[in-house]
Amino acid sequence: MFLPAGSQDEIGKRLISRSKAYEIFGNVTANRNYKQISTPVVEYATTFTNQYAGMELQNMLKWFNRDGEIEVLRPDWTTAIARALVNQHPSQLKWSYQGSVFRSDKAGMESRQAGVEIVHTSSFLGESECLLTAVNYLDELEINDYLIELGHTGIFDELTSHLNLTDSELEKLREAMHDKRRDEVYQIAITNGHEEVANELTQLVDAFGSIDVIEKYEDLWRDQEILLGILKHMKQLAVLLQELGVPDVLVDLGRVKNLPYYCGIMFRGFIRSNGNTCFSGGRYDKLYEQFDESISAVGLAFDVDVLADNLIIENDRQKICIVASEQSHAFAEKLRTSFDNAIVDIQYNLTDEDRFDKVLEVIEEHNEYKVVER
Amino acid sequence: MKPCIALTKGRIEKQFLEFFQSLNYDIEPLINKGRKLRVETDDFQFVFAKGVDVTTYVEHGIADLGIVGEDILAEFQPDVYNLLPLPFGNCRMALAVEEGKEWPERKRCIASKYTNITKAFFKEKGESVDIVKLEGSVELAPILGLADGIVDIVETGNTLKENGLIVKESFMEFSARCIANRSSLKIKRDLLAPVIEALQKGVAVK
Repeated sequence: MFLPAGSQDEIGKRLISRSKAYEIFGNVTANRNYKQISTPVVEYATTFTNQYAGMELQNMLKWFNRDGEIEVLRPDWTTAIARALVNQHPSQLKWSYQGSVFRSDKAGMESRQAGVEIVHTSSFLGESECLLTAVNYLDELEINDYLIELGHTGIFDELTSHLNLTDSELEKLREAMHDKRRDEVYQIAITNGHEEVANELTQLVDAFGSIDVIEKYEDLWRDQEILLGILKHMKQLAVLLQELGVPDVLVDLGRVKNLPYYCGIMFRGFIRSNGNTCFSGGRYDKLYEQFDESISAVGLAFDVDVLADNLIIENDRQKICIVASEQSHAFAEKLRTSFDNAIVDIQYNLTDEDRFDKVLEVIEEHNEYKVVER
Repeated sequence: MKPCIALTKGRIEKQFLEFFQSLNYDIEPLINKGRKLRVETDDFQFVFAKGVDVTTYVEHGIADLGIVGEDILAEFQPDVYNLLPLPFGNCRMALAVEEGKEWPERKRCIASKYTNITKAFFKEKGESVDIVKLEGSVELAPILGLADGIVDIVETGNTLKENGLIVKESFMEFSARCIANRSSLKIKRDLLAPVIEALQKGVAVK
């Protein structure tokens, strides 16, 4: 029997690491007053493909139900949770979730996530809490060599508001910014607007780096109230992270949204040693507009598979084997309870002694069981 | 740690090395590399691969930067930063047909290595076509009756001419490009910024 490309059976360390990542996530979020939520793995496609969520149907695992409606395996947590939270009492502000998402454009199709969503909370408090939850969680996982990147959708929106672009031209410009394709950014902007904005957008492609980048742009945009407000907001978050000892905080003023529902701050965490993205998220108030709700909402999702791959599991528990028999099995089972912190296995015929730190044998003498160490 | 650059083997490799040398980088170990596919200089690690594999190595973060034809990027749409055009590898994408042969008034069949580009091109025109995927010598397809036309890159047009084909429509212009891994550009920014800046300056001079 064969497995589809990207799928794999999993045993041992990877599963232990993933369980540990989920367990620590549960503890961290419970300690920070998050309430757990879960949504069904099967949803209607329209939950994710409507104009507010804007996801591509082609990347979802889908089928027609008996009524001819398209159903999908959950491709995204945030959108599903937004649907679910509309029916929840607004007094609960902080939510956490964990489970799989399914996308046909990703190797293996299934990926494991854990994340948080914060609603009805003032902008800075919600965003800070998201980021500090991430810092707390990575700290508990003992993952220390990471980088947090901050971006903001408002910068691109504000600069392009001065250009007379059609929706498709704006999308092309957004894609060119997303790919940091300077020549095309300039070309689109100059054809449809004025040179000053074209130059500004082109320079923005390279506007990423330490917090100094914000300071440079504070000077450049000193007369632009909206942009200055965005920079102030980003700087506040960056300083907060630095004060909490985050090893590397990076800002990318040229970052644009990759999902249509982002509207404001965007953040992402990278593992420095291998470049993997370990979490991403941001503000998405607009996602709730589909439910005629005006809600402040921000969240982030951790890639549990990436985190699990970076965990160091130190198995310092002693491994003991008790060699018993059908008759002495009950005695051996009682004996097992006397080893508090050890991994204890019971076998009748031990073939591979090397796998254990200690081997004990139950033997019968004068109608009594006795334990001897091999 | 040295930046790793993936280079497209063949003509792009040769043109890039000339360009790189003009920016005062030492390319001596690369010229005499023989059949080695991985070469280290004082400043960089280089790997040599086919164009589409260059994008794969960069996308997966094995290489930090890549030098690749834009036709490959347009066809395969890898998830990488597409930083800047380089002053070589210029060509265009064209629909070519057999000279003197009538363009049929039925659903047409097009042969190409670039099936995604071909599909997008005819979709934009609002025309349904059948596409036959070929791996090379695409010019043969109309001559041997496999297809009504081809979509392929054209540099000078000599290959088309020698095989009795003419350009019916040109629709994209390409050059070689420098691409970057999305994480590397951020995490190794101090390491990569000088070389990207040097490439940019070199492009501006040309």
